[in-house]
Amino acid sequence: MDLRQLLLILALVCANDSLSTSEVILGRPQIIKCRSPEQETFSCHWTDRDFYNVTTPGTVQLLYMRRNDEEWKECPDYVTAGENSCYFNTSYTSIWITYCVKLINKDEVLDEKCFSVDEIVQPDPPVGLNWTLLNTSLTGIHADIQVRWDPPPSADVQKGWITLEYELQYKEANETKWRELEPMLTTVVPLYSLKLGRDYEVRVRSRQRTSEKFGEFSEALYVSLSSISSVLCNEEIQFPWLLIIVFGTFGLIVVMFLILFSKHRRLKMLILPPVPAPKIKGIDPDLLKKGKLDEVNSILASHDSYKPQLYNDDSWVEFIELDIDDPDEKTDGLDTDRLLGDDRCKSHNCLGVKDDDSGRASCCEPDIPETDFSASDTCDGTSDIDRSKKISEKEEDLLCLDQKDDDESHAIPADPTTWKPNTNIQSEDNQSKPPFADSIESTSPPVRTQLSNQSSVANIDFYAQVSDVTPAGSVVLSPGQTNKRRRTQCDAYTEPAIQCQPDFTMDNAYFCEADVKKCITATSHNAVEPRVQEQSFNEDVYFTTESLTTAAENPGAAAVEASSSEMPVPDYTSIHIVHSPQGLVLNATALPVPDKEFMISCGYVSTDQLNKIMP
Amino acid sequence: MFLSKKGVTSLPICPSGSVGCQVSLGNLFDRAVKLSHYIHSLSSEMFNEFDERYAQGRGFITKAINGCHTSSLTTPEDKEQAQQIHHEDLLNLVLGVLRSWNDPLLHLVSEVQSIKEAPDTILWKAVEIEEQNKRLLEGMEKIVGQVQPGEIENEVYSRWSGLPSLQMADEDSRLFAFYSLLHCLRRDSHKIDNYLKLLKCRLIHDSNC
Repeated sequence: MDLRQLLLILALVCANDSLSTSEVILGRPQIIKCRSPEQETFSCHWTDRDFYNVTTPGTVQLLYMRRNDEEWKECPDYVTAGENSCYFNTSYTSIWITYCVKLINKDEVLDEKCFSVDEIVQPDPPVGLNWTLLNTSLTGIHADIQVRWDPPPSADVQKGWITLEYELQYKEANETKWRELEPMLTTVVPLYSLKLGRDYEVRVRSRQRTSEKFGEFSEALYVSLSSISSVLCNEEIQFPWLLIIVFGTFGLIVVMFLILFSKHRRLKMLILPPVPAPKIKGIDPDLLKKGKLDEVNSILASHDSYKPQLYNDDSWVEFIELDIDDPDEKTDGLDTDRLLGDDRCKSHNCLGVKDDDSGRASCCEPDIPETDFSASDTCDGTSDIDRSKKISEKEEDLLCLDQKDDDESHAIPADPTTWKPNTNIQSEDNQSKPPFADSIESTSPPVRTQLSNQSSVANIDFYAQVSDVTPAGSVVLSPGQTNKRRRTQCDAYTEPAIQCQPDFTMDNAYFCEADVKKCITATSHNAVEPRVQEQSFNEDVYFTTESLTTAAENPGAAAVEASSSEMPVPDYTSIHIVHSPQGLVLNATALPVPDKEFMISCGYVSTDQLNKIMP
Repeated sequence: MFLSKKGVTSLPICPSGSVGCQVSLGNLFDRAVKLSHYIHSLSSEMFNEFDERYAQGRGFITKAINGCHTSSLTTPEDKEQAQQIHHEDLLNLVLGVLRSWNDPLLHLVSEVQSIKEAPDTILWKAVEIEEQNKRLLEGMEKIVGQVQPGEIENEVYSRWSGLPSLQMADEDSRLFAFYSLLHCLRRDSHKIDNYLKLLKCRLIHDSNC
């Protein structure tokens, strides 16, 4: 009981506090709104007082007061507008006059409101909605309709007492969101592009033109268009094949044109392949244009076409065999290791590539400029030249050793006329010699080119003489100087033993001038030989063809020439054009010497040339 | 509800000096109704803005139960009275109300700027209402000249004496004065608009709008 009393007191206290204000408290009757539908009458409604349990029901009153009144008057009509309402008919209604109404319960003011009637006008919904079909589209998919309605009967629009504005909303029957049209003053409006076969709903509401509040919506008008489209349904279902075909063709044409224009050149190549112009491999057309015939000559001399001939025609070449199957020989390359230990080689990505005559380890020399020759040829030459530097002194005597060996082991027929004995001998030493000639041959063209290009460079130590072929089958290259030294040694060593046996037994392909000269001098110019040799050995291994040739004819002159030529780069030989298709000639001079009939150097000499040299 | 100024640009009724130029009464009424509608929309918006900005929680509405300065003019206050009154009288009343507002509108324009932080929309609307009111008055005088040619009645209008209240030092009182004035303006503009529409339907469309 105490608790109930406490609650009652609390409720009363709360009620008292809120009397002066119009705050909404749960359960308290409140004037919802006052509304005039036609600006002639108005009514006020308030909330039900179901939640208000404290006081006895039925004592709620509505009082009103107009501007000029002095006291509050009670609502004239509680019935007409329904329950919890107060209706003011036309006699009680004055427009443009301020009214105040208040809701009381006995003496307790529940709510109060002040307004003027012109502010609370909210018209009734329009009546008489109907629609008519205006037209249908040619495709039979869409249709236009016209919706018509009448103003609410309560609003006196005809006399102009109230001016109404209407808003129409419509939607498809299965949609949830209504589409709105702009407010309009007319009561007729067309709706365009409604889909046949669908059903729509339409509703309208109105408001006084000068106010903002709309009245209630009319009842929704059901527009059924599904019954109309039965005849023309087929067009909608049809798949637009024709359109697809047309646009697809158009798109394909566009794509084709794009391809045509983008791949213009390639298509042209396919359809009209260019006729290959005559071109000599390795010759830069610019050289021809510039008139550098010497270089062109040198290039042509090393042309591949010559090679096969060299290979094919030299009988001793035929006996050269490549022995690449013996693993022991491969791994036994002492010289190879030394050669490959060069930093220069490593710096140029030559790591791990052993000197096995395959040419892969040849790209170690960066200083040699690229020529127009094939890469393999160039590299072979450079690699060989590079390797030559690595040869130690120890190996430098191989030449002499070979000579000794050859002398001892081989009974070589002294046939100066041909190179065949040399080749025969080489063939007999199959195991050690085979790769020799090939490498030499492969070396010679690049050597030649490099020589021609590098002849002006003084201090490049690229080229080397093939001094020996190791048992493993690798080629030993020795630098010129060492060869020179070697030569001197060899010469010194062999000199007494020279019997004009052209040291064809030597394994190296380079025939030293000294050796040749020995033979020559042995036959005809013995006295001059030492001098020539010495002088010729002032240079390195590679002797000018000039010197050789002249030595054959006039050793003195050759010596003079050799000495006077003073090659700026003694280590280098240039390769001149060999008229004879059977041999290449290395020329030690920096300056290219054209038109040498036969140029013999300490190297690759053809049989014919040797025949010319030898008497 | 914001009104655009479309349709209310000044349409030349008759070039000055032209002879025989006579705009029809229907056109005059159309223009008058447009103007009155425009004026009422502007004043309604202006009042709403003022109410939102300055009058919230001050209980001005209860105090504004007192009438406006035009209350002395006995204008019809419901439809029946409006239907019973003669159209000429009604036209004269309309003129009287319009004339009564000339002065207050003029002062409103000058005094509303003194309201602290008055938004530009209120200022602009005050100026616009004052200008359009003058034009409506001219139009109405033309209509009256056509409807009842002849002698001009004594000009009926009520004097406005609210200027001191607009200039009060006390801001609360001053704001209440503005509130009352704007409230009255909205009401009177609505009244005029209604009367003119009524007259138009009665005179031009023969009560069949």
